[in-house]
Amino acid sequence: MSHLDLLTFARGSALNWALIVFAAGIVLRLFEILGLGRKADLARPRTDSPGSGWRTIFSRTLPPPGMLKREPVTYFGGYVFHFGLFIAIFFFAPHIEFFRGMTGLHWSSLPSALVDASVVAAIVALGALLAHRLNNKVKRMLSGLGDYIAWTATMLPLLTGYMAYHHLFVEYTLMLTLHLFSVELLLVLLPFTKLFHTFSLFISRWYNGDFFGRKGVAS
Amino acid sequence: MTINNDSEFKAALNSLPGNRQRQLAARFAESVLVLSKDVRVKNAIEAARRNDITDDELDAAYKAAKKASVDSFTRCGKECDWNSQAGHFVAQAALACFEPGKSSAWESAMHARMARTSESIATGIGTDNAETTAQYRILDKYLAGEKA
Amino acid sequence: MSATLEKGLNAFKEVIDAPIASYFSSCVHCGLCAEACLFHNETGDPKYTPIHKLEPLRRVWKQEYTLLGKLGKMLGLTKPVTDAELTEWEPLVYDSCSMCGRCSMVCPVGNDITYMIRKMREGMAASGHAPEDLVGATTRAVTIGSPMGIKWPAVMAQIKHVQAETHIEVPVDKEGADYLVLMSSMEIINFPEYLSALSRIFKQAGVSWTLAQDAFEATNSGIQIGASDLAREIVGRIVVAAERLKVKCVISPECGHAFTAIRWEGPNLMGKPFGFEVKHILEVLDELHTAGRIKTRGKDKRPLTYHDPCQISRRGGVVEQPRRLLGAIAEDFREMPDAGVMNWCCGGGGGVSANSRAEPLRLEAFKVKKRQIETTDVHTLVTACANCRIVMEEGLEHYHMKVDVIGLTELLVDYLVEGE
Repeated sequence: MSHLDLLTFARGSALNWALIVFAAGIVLRLFEILGLGRKADLARPRTDSPGSGWRTIFSRTLPPPGMLKREPVTYFGGYVFHFGLFIAIFFFAPHIEFFRGMTGLHWSSLPSALVDASVVAAIVALGALLAHRLNNKVKRMLSGLGDYIAWTATMLPLLTGYMAYHHLFVEYTLMLTLHLFSVELLLVLLPFTKLFHTFSLFISRWYNGDFFGRKGVAS
Repeated sequence: MTINNDSEFKAALNSLPGNRQRQLAARFAESVLVLSKDVRVKNAIEAARRNDITDDELDAAYKAAKKASVDSFTRCGKECDWNSQAGHFVAQAALACFEPGKSSAWESAMHARMARTSESIATGIGTDNAETTAQYRILDKYLAGEKA
Repeated sequence: MSATLEKGLNAFKEVIDAPIASYFSSCVHCGLCAEACLFHNETGDPKYTPIHKLEPLRRVWKQEYTLLGKLGKMLGLTKPVTDAELTEWEPLVYDSCSMCGRCSMVCPVGNDITYMIRKMREGMAASGHAPEDLVGATTRAVTIGSPMGIKWPAVMAQIKHVQAETHIEVPVDKEGADYLVLMSSMEIINFPEYLSALSRIFKQAGVSWTLAQDAFEATNSGIQIGASDLAREIVGRIVVAAERLKVKCVISPECGHAFTAIRWEGPNLMGKPFGFEVKHILEVLDELHTAGRIKTRGKDKRPLTYHDPCQISRRGGVVEQPRRLLGAIAEDFREMPDAGVMNWCCGGGGGVSANSRAEPLRLEAFKVKKRQIETTDVHTLVTACANCRIVMEEGLEHYHMKVDVIGLTELLVDYLVEGE
């Protein structure tokens, strides 16, 4: 199979199947969670509460008092990685074209040099987070195969995308194919690993904020 | 003058200077000492009674009474043994001897009464506020002794 | 599978709801929850990481409520939760967690780990893996009516003592009173000054109140051990009495978990909203003071600080009230670092102080509170939970710190204007 055939496959049916599994997986997981339901809270909530589910969805992004200095690597690494990834996925011109093709929607891109720098930052941050995971007693104890698979599935698209853009290591067509395969792998794994936090964190934060908010506490 | 009620009792106690309050507090605690098996409490009360006690000795007695008090609290969720709890209040009465402030004798008296009440819960027999009357007599005797 | 392990696993399955499923799905193993936990921080032991304490529950969730988990279980690829594992987890769930709630405040994906621990305890208790001391308290609560074995005659004796001191009658079973006052066993046994303070305050404020002979106990060890049916029974007694006496409001005493039990879990345990209000005593005192129904005169000259009991402050929303009250009666009120909703637990809540096996760990965890107090440089600590009081007295004693611990209600009454 030539590189071009492979790329056609990666862009075509492989991508379609990956997207189907991704979408179905998300729907399935949401059902599995929300389908369990939550009993209504019959205790009278406080009326003048500073907290709420919606508020916590946003506020929980920030470190609570005293936490940043305890774990700067986790916070800074997390911010840089997520932000860099977000820029790379949604503000790189070729990606926006891809979204336009799929959904019809499009928006302005950022200069490629900026996206490139974001990707480098994201890769470095992700590397640092792995090192931290391996060295920090708590993270090491908590981590299992799932964490390392998720890390790899996240790192590969960043690396392959960077290498493709810079025409590094292997022939461009092949690199692009590898990039697509890595993205497809990520899509397929996302609903079934901790990467699902991409979607479920909004639900968790809302439940949390709602629980505390009813008691008059902004969490 | 004989004390006949708590208003007179409290007023008389609070009018006394610190070291006199300490000695009275010690007497109130001593009156219920039988309800405590803790030798630290006994020693603390004896120390508090002394006229010639030094500041260092006071401090040491305070620490011992404090430890006895903390050791004898009934912890949340534990089965309450009212006899032990009586001992706890005796320790509290002893501790009150060393607490500076205008009402350490009154505090000690209250804790001593609670010790008796605890004992009454344990035995199931009422106290008829006997300890209160006993405390009035202790005060009367102390004040009379002072005048003599 | 033995009968009890099966009961435990069934209880695990029953308690898992959408929030818990969402929380387990979202956890990214970042370890930040450990940094919020005093048991982890003061020992440095990673096994005290909050989310780790939930591992058996997580596996049950995975195997029962996710497709992949169910498939894995069918194919024999998953690890079942065993009795031995629950034995190993018992100290993690009960000794090293006071359900203080700090972890729930910091998890970046929003997990309410405290909520999950509370639910997990249901399964632990049903499978026979609750600490012996807590089981004892629960048994006493069922058979005697109070986890510490307090019966009405003991309460009567205390009432007599308090009446003799204050010359104010303590009303019992008075129908139509504004407030039904509950007490915790700890107050009845250790702090009779609470009831005497209430007598004087309510007299001054001119509010009508009452105790109830069949519902004087606020402590709810069902919540601590994780036995909702027991928790329900204790709350039920209070509801019955409140309805019988037609009171407007039930007052929860200076006890942390009692407040959580009656105010927040109560209606859910009973399956219906309450027809009366529930307030913490601090809320009532603050309201009376703000409305001018009680007045204070003079201020305490001692530099003092306030410890926020976790269930009242972070998990209960009563944060400003004690501060307003202390503002009125303290000349030199100093906040400790992290005061308010992020304050550090005394280490003894949620059944930890009743569990003698947990004592060494609890004393070690106390170091965080020790540092907070030392930073504030005071010798007087005010709080509003009888359990916190004793736990902190023990901790202070253990570390040879000369700090007095007093209850806020008791302190307030020292500056109460009476008789005018």
